[in-house]
Amino acid sequence: MAEKISAKPGDYVKISLIKYEYKGVFLESPEEEKGLVLLKLDSGYNIGISKKEIVNVQVLSKTKIEDEEIELKRDKEKPNIGMIITGGTIAARLNPKRGGVDWLTSPSQLLKFYPRVFDKVNIVKIEAPFMKASEDMDYKDWKKIAKTAQKLLNDSNIKGIIITHGTDFLHYTAAALSFFLRNLNKPVVFTYSQRSVDRASSDANLNLQCSALAAISDMAEVMIVGHASSNDDFCNAISGTKVRKLHSSRRDAFKPVNAKPFAKVYPDKIVKVSDYRTLNNNKVVVEDKFEEKVALVKVYPGHDSSILDYYIKNKYKGIVLELAGLGHGPTKRARKGWTKKLKQVQDKGMIICAASQTIFGRLNPLVYSNGREFLETGIIYLEDMLSETAFVKLGWVLGHKEWVKQGKEKIKEMMLKNFSHELNNRLEFEEE
Amino acid sequence: MPEEINYQKLEFKAGLEIHQQLDTKKLFCNCPSLLRNDEPDFIVKRKLHVVAGEAGKVDVAAAHEASLGKEFVYQGYDTTCLVELDEEPPHQINKEAFQIALHISLLLNCKILSATQIMRKTVIDGSNTGGFQRTVLIARDGYVETSQGRVGIKGIFLEEDAARPVSKQKGEIVYRLDRLGIPLVEIATEPDIKTAEQVKEVALHIGDILRACKVKRGIGTIRQDLNLSIKNGHRVEIKGFQEPKMMVITVNKEIQRQLELAKSGKKLEPEVRNALPNGGTEFLRPMPGSARMYPETDLPLLKISREKINEAKKTLPRLRADIKEELQRGGLNEEMAGLLMKKGKIEEFKEMSSILKIPSLIAKILLVYPKEIASHEKISEEQIEENLNIDALLFIVEALKDSKISEGDVKEVMRLIAKGTAVENAIKLEKADVSGIEERIMKVIKGKPGLNVNAYMGLIMQSPEFKSKISGREAMEIIKKYVR
Repeated sequence: MAEKISAKPGDYVKISLIKYEYKGVFLESPEEEKGLVLLKLDSGYNIGISKKEIVNVQVLSKTKIEDEEIELKRDKEKPNIGMIITGGTIAARLNPKRGGVDWLTSPSQLLKFYPRVFDKVNIVKIEAPFMKASEDMDYKDWKKIAKTAQKLLNDSNIKGIIITHGTDFLHYTAAALSFFLRNLNKPVVFTYSQRSVDRASSDANLNLQCSALAAISDMAEVMIVGHASSNDDFCNAISGTKVRKLHSSRRDAFKPVNAKPFAKVYPDKIVKVSDYRTLNNNKVVVEDKFEEKVALVKVYPGHDSSILDYYIKNKYKGIVLELAGLGHGPTKRARKGWTKKLKQVQDKGMIICAASQTIFGRLNPLVYSNGREFLETGIIYLEDMLSETAFVKLGWVLGHKEWVKQGKEKIKEMMLKNFSHELNNRLEFEEE
Repeated sequence: MPEEINYQKLEFKAGLEIHQQLDTKKLFCNCPSLLRNDEPDFIVKRKLHVVAGEAGKVDVAAAHEASLGKEFVYQGYDTTCLVELDEEPPHQINKEAFQIALHISLLLNCKILSATQIMRKTVIDGSNTGGFQRTVLIARDGYVETSQGRVGIKGIFLEEDAARPVSKQKGEIVYRLDRLGIPLVEIATEPDIKTAEQVKEVALHIGDILRACKVKRGIGTIRQDLNLSIKNGHRVEIKGFQEPKMMVITVNKEIQRQLELAKSGKKLEPEVRNALPNGGTEFLRPMPGSARMYPETDLPLLKISREKINEAKKTLPRLRADIKEELQRGGLNEEMAGLLMKKGKIEEFKEMSSILKIPSLIAKILLVYPKEIASHEKISEEQIEENLNIDALLFIVEALKDSKISEGDVKEVMRLIAKGTAVENAIKLEKADVSGIEERIMKVIKGKPGLNVNAYMGLIMQSPEFKSKISGREAMEIIKKYVR
């Protein structure tokens, strides 16, 4: 078609081709399909029509912008909570007019999609410091969330907060807030969804109901609340430092690692499973200095240790190495050994920490001579700490200039000090 | 019927919706389309909630669902995966099923779309774990010719079948995941059908075309719905309308119902009704609106290139005229070939001929003997048809091939079966339970993993459990589904 199409997404149009005519709602073309016009037929089906075939587009009626605001009623009987929305599947909904995705940002939109979250609480404040997929976030975003959380947590009108977040890097943010929020007084509940909110089966429904209950509980912890299994019956509340996304798509993707959950959270009750810090009258302080020059490196067979030169050259201050098994990597006996290089970079002041690739279990470099060989280079072995948590903690510890000034021993002391359940000195047996 | 119905005066209009299962793996995952009758390997419990559709409206049919808040129990097997459980995004659309949908579109003279979007149709009775059924419009604007004129084909859709309801108790519905995701082709005609007889003719005609394509056969593999309206009425949809013998009766009864409703001054509502075995219907739910359709965002636009359509044309299944010619070349006279087609016995003939290559005898078994037995024994043709069904006939042909009976015994064996003697007794064989044979073969394979196709073939064909109940070709087909 020669001239530009004047129809706007949402308009009801008649599209004429040489031989046929189609009537339907004009939709926004997908980014990668600029040569196509998308049309929603009266039957509800969407079809694509090549722009080249179109002879004429006639607008039959213009789209009406609908006012979707619904008034939120506050119930004095219910406790108040705050909410921080950051993006991700849980805050995204399909806009059928555009065929694309919009963010849910207002309480009334939340009410429309998640009415059950309001069953037991009033959501009195909703903050949206930014809207991002979790994979687009870094420590600067963690700081913004922490500051927003602090404001809500120090509001005496609010019992606790829910933070909705994308899933992919959620466990990094949860770990960051576990360290950033000092003197924590109330529940900080991260939740998510693995299935989009526009489907009746969305896991967000149960996750949010349980999160609301966790947010008014006595757990003064940073935690992730989400499906405990594939069933829609209850969620686990798991420490923000002992949790990892362990499945790419299942709704129970987040599992506790080397720890038990704090509690099982049902839509109507909470069953305590392990010890947690309880509500208190502290004023929350944000300690969010973060050393950006930290890295997380996974060691693999045949890995060339000269990769460490890159980090030295680029002035990195610390690295978490994901080592194999109890804490092993290529030794002097390997074709490409790491021992010498590890010693070298640590002598130059680089902090090297170790976490395990096995995800589950504790490091122990003393069992084999190969471990002792690495240990002697000065690596800080981080016990049963998750590598992702270790990465966040290392950036946080190195962000404390007063500790860094005191030297490596102080840094080691802080890395091995338990701030927020990141270390567990008793790994209990768990049946599959 | 109390009086003759004047369809024209009533402005009777009807359209058919035919859902046919395809004989392939599932539409959006790699699971076999296998129905299971054994104990499930696991169960998962879920709930669904209402979702506002476009513009914040909740679909009427969705809102009607009394199942909201109910718990749904899903039974899963080692032949279902995370996709059916709504725990993994859909895989790319099954290429084979897609091509069959193109075949059907071409045979129904439809225009195939060049780009189309896979949609989610909101279904919250629990029969879909996701809360929606995936469906895509493949082609439009086709037609079939009938003796009463041309009937338009509105659309050809490729969609997922739903989970099977197993039991319903208070507050809990149990579904089996085995059927969820089996590819279905939906054929929707225009409301061009003007009489009850024409309804039947269109249904049979489309049935013929479907049988020419790679579709599943047997009870439950085809489902038909009828949309009809008369003057001053609303569109009413009748589900489960697949028994050709009842079609005319059901249509006429529904017209009577609507006329009586109109006479009593009650308002006709657009609604979905269920066909009953006696030809009557019962209320099922209100008619769903288009508000329940939204795009499947986990999958890209489906583009149907010229090349794909040409490829489908090259592999197009052969239709009646071609088949007749082939039958004659295979040794049947024109009369027999014509009669086979008229009686709709081509598939049976092909199946039986694949076992025993004596076309004239098979034609007699299908066409001549049943008639002779019917008149001699004074049994209705319906009764004969029911007893001497394809399974029984295949049994006879197998027995002939294995020399368990002779050509001369055939008519007598058929007579016995027609009179109600069990097939096994009629040819004095052990009881054969052919149902679930695929399931049992799968178990043999699972029991001895890691062998090659020929080894399994040997195991199965030597086993008394399968020998004489399944041909080598059939066994091989099944084995290949489960062994790489």
